Amino acid sequence: MDFLLENIITGLSIGSILLLIALGLAIIYGTMGVINMAHGEFVMLGAYATWAMNAFLGVGFLASLIVVFLGVACLGYLVERGVIRFLYRRPLDTILATWGVGVMLQQIVRLIAGGELRYVEMPPALSGTVSVLGITVSGYRVFVFLFVLALFAATWYLMYRTAFGTKLRAVVQNREIASCFGINSSRIYSLTFAYGAGLAGLAGALVAPLKSVSPEMGTTYVVDAFFVVVLGGVQSIFGTVASAFVLGEATGMLAFLWNDTIAKALVLLGIMILIRFRPQGLFTSKARR
Amino acid sequence: MSEHLRIENLSVEFDGFKAVDNLNLSVDKGELRCLIGPNGAGKTTTLDLICGKTRSSKGSIQYRGREIANEPEYLIARAGIGRKFQVPSVFRQLTVRENLEVAYCRHVGVFANVVRSGHSPESDGLEKLADFVGLSGYLDEPAEHLSHGQTQWLEIALLLAQDSELILLDEPTAGMTHQETRKTAEICNRLKGKHTIIVVEHDMGFVREIGEVISVMHQGTVLAEGTVEEISRDERVKEVYLGSVGIDDA
Amino acid sequence: MFEIFRNMTASRRQTLVQVLTYMLFCAAILIFPLFLDNDFLLNRYARYLVLGMVTMALSLSWGYAGILNLGQALSFGLGSYAMAMALKLRTVPVHTGAGGLPDFMVWNNVEKLPWFWEPFYSLGLAILAGIFVPVILAVVLGWFMFRGRITGVFVAIITLANLVVVNLLIIDQQRFTGGFNGITDLAQLEFFGFEFDAYSKSTYYLVAISLSLCLFGALALTKSKAGLILQAIRDHEERVRFFGYDVAVYQIMAMSVSAAIAGIAGMLYTVVMEFASPTFLSVPLSLSIVVWCAVGGRQSLLGATIGAIVVAGMQGALSESEAFLDTWMLIMGAIFVLVVLFLPNGLAGLIDMLARKAFGRGRHRKSDGPASDIIPTETAKSP
Repeated sequence: MDFLLENIITGLSIGSILLLIALGLAIIYGTMGVINMAHGEFVMLGAYATWAMNAFLGVGFLASLIVVFLGVACLGYLVERGVIRFLYRRPLDTILATWGVGVMLQQIVRLIAGGELRYVEMPPALSGTVSVLGITVSGYRVFVFLFVLALFAATWYLMYRTAFGTKLRAVVQNREIASCFGINSSRIYSLTFAYGAGLAGLAGALVAPLKSVSPEMGTTYVVDAFFVVVLGGVQSIFGTVASAFVLGEATGMLAFLWNDTIAKALVLLGIMILIRFRPQGLFTSKARR
Repeated sequence: MSEHLRIENLSVEFDGFKAVDNLNLSVDKGELRCLIGPNGAGKTTTLDLICGKTRSSKGSIQYRGREIANEPEYLIARAGIGRKFQVPSVFRQLTVRENLEVAYCRHVGVFANVVRSGHSPESDGLEKLADFVGLSGYLDEPAEHLSHGQTQWLEIALLLAQDSELILLDEPTAGMTHQETRKTAEICNRLKGKHTIIVVEHDMGFVREIGEVISVMHQGTVLAEGTVEEISRDERVKEVYLGSVGIDDA
Repeated sequence: MFEIFRNMTASRRQTLVQVLTYMLFCAAILIFPLFLDNDFLLNRYARYLVLGMVTMALSLSWGYAGILNLGQALSFGLGSYAMAMALKLRTVPVHTGAGGLPDFMVWNNVEKLPWFWEPFYSLGLAILAGIFVPVILAVVLGWFMFRGRITGVFVAIITLANLVVVNLLIIDQQRFTGGFNGITDLAQLEFFGFEFDAYSKSTYYLVAISLSLCLFGALALTKSKAGLILQAIRDHEERVRFFGYDVAVYQIMAMSVSAAIAGIAGMLYTVVMEFASPTFLSVPLSLSIVVWCAVGGRQSLLGATIGAIVVAGMQGALSESEAFLDTWMLIMGAIFVLVVLFLPNGLAGLIDMLARKAFGRGRHRKSDGPASDIIPTETAKSP
């Protein structure tokens, strides 16, 4: 019984990291239809920024989160203004262009910070362990889990309970009509993209103490996160949450039964089959005609 | 005349909304049938159901005695049903000539077409066709360079190249000038007899010019059927058009 | 001569120019070794030609049929493994004695040659496998996707996921595939008494001739009626169905032909590189192929080929120094973004546009006038 519980908790932890990374991507893809391949690099930049602030400026971990969020959001804003906004009519090409942006960001970091692995210290207050239902869990993982839930709540509030969110949803429904009602749709898109990028930066900062930081770290994340988003369904952030935890649990369980590699292969195979039969995602109702 | 297309008790439902509801329609071979009706009456949906774009919930569609309801689009097309869409849909990156080559679909198999040149010996005929719709000067121009009106004509040419026995036209004259509308009517009149045609149209002038039998649709079903005169005298038809322009002035 | 040229229809004239350009390219790569007596460099250029070939295969499915296959490297890698398995088995008598096993299997305590290695004792069967294993996979995957009318982004995701699955399996099954290291230490390819040393003119010619043949084969396909239908599908998939074409079958055909060419390229890659590795069917290579294709021009077979040769070539030339390479990758990323933004048809599109400006402006605008007087002049005006 204990190992089952242990597996569920491992799954929740994997799921929370997946959700953390996927949330920004889900917002960008779900609202703007842009497949942001540079998302992984935003994550990577967040991780590097945390490392740099810690190593050179001595800024504390929690304090650096705010700076990271704002900094990466600004970068996202620039990327949207400079590249993405020209491609709204060619959705497939956004994959290519953002991938190019990702390569550039990766190389810039490699040129400035070098290619070697970097490590970020866990904040001492969170480095202990806690006991959850009799299972010993790392305190930091619990912190990440709770932080992600809080971020999700904030995002939901932003999307469904603020004037900005209402405008955004109007633009998503019909850009032209929304513009006719005086909504500055290009500004809404820029800000949304910036917000998604900022979330990615936060994700990078939060995973940095768990994994090593390197210029390539984003590439693996973006693929996983993308599958989460597609599986969850394009226009549903609740779907993203559900699919992140489903994938997290599935990966955790399968890895326990076989090994990490086979688990990943099986999960991908499952995703392929799901996309084939439900391209609209697992957790959305039938698409409107 | 023999019956070419027979629709019985056809229904389709979108999330509880019945777009077509127990529709019965029979069209004879060589007939030119007009479908009219207020917006949302289910005219376009009916065409979608016939050509397989939309799947029906129940009912039957028989084409030359063969049940075709819910068959894949390409099999229905191969059986001899061609369709012109409301929104002009041509292949924008291909030239006018290439568009016509694609539409000239006597051989549909993939292996036959791998060894067949993209320029068929029939291309003379296709050039005549382009000439007929006034596009002969644009044969080697990509379709995206055409104006809206020219795109409409290209679509009509595509239908002529396809040469289907049953042709479904969805608002063929939308956005056309008066003269263009008359030419479209002329084409329709020329095709009738040899081809069976079903036209969805709002322009009553056009309908008068081509129409023999008119079916009026309302709320997904056929409300009345008859000649232009019979239809314009029908009280129920007047009622559904009440508030809109009215059938006589349209 | 010029009279004939002028009297042709514009499309035939265009085809003629295209065929001549392709012939010029093939002639150039075939006579190239006459001016270069450096086996090391020849090997390198042979490598770029192979990469050009797999990129050309992508242009066939992406540029012509609109199928963005992010798993293009899968066919390439499988071809490469097929060749490597055959060449590996030839080393067995030398390395581990007759009736022995490939060396890496011995290290992994494998006792019996797995069944799927058996056919690779025959080079002929290996070559067939190098072509038909990718083709069969493409047919299965294509059938799986296109029968369900999966399009656009979802095709990209499914093909990408498929690539990752096979890549993971190959790395995981180290006992039978060599895992991360791949299959190394191979015998030389021998064909009817010809030896293909990777560092020799013979291998270069093998690659150059294969590329030329595939290039013209693919060109012929695009000029066929099927090629035209593929382009129509790319433009407006739904409309094609209403002309009675079974769209899925055409898409599967495009993907399989592309897979076959990529498989051949993969086999040649093993001959040129003298090993096979999981990096040959990895996500980074697959995305690089997409980049080369986009830079060269996705809708031009030759453009895609040259795009790969030029970009991969420059990357190779700069790879001696790491700082150079990093800077180059940065510049490459920037160039790529600019190409996607401003040159959707890549360098080939740019050249096409310039040629059009230089020569044919207005030529095809000459209208013969409306055929019938009831067509108003408005429609006959230039758009």
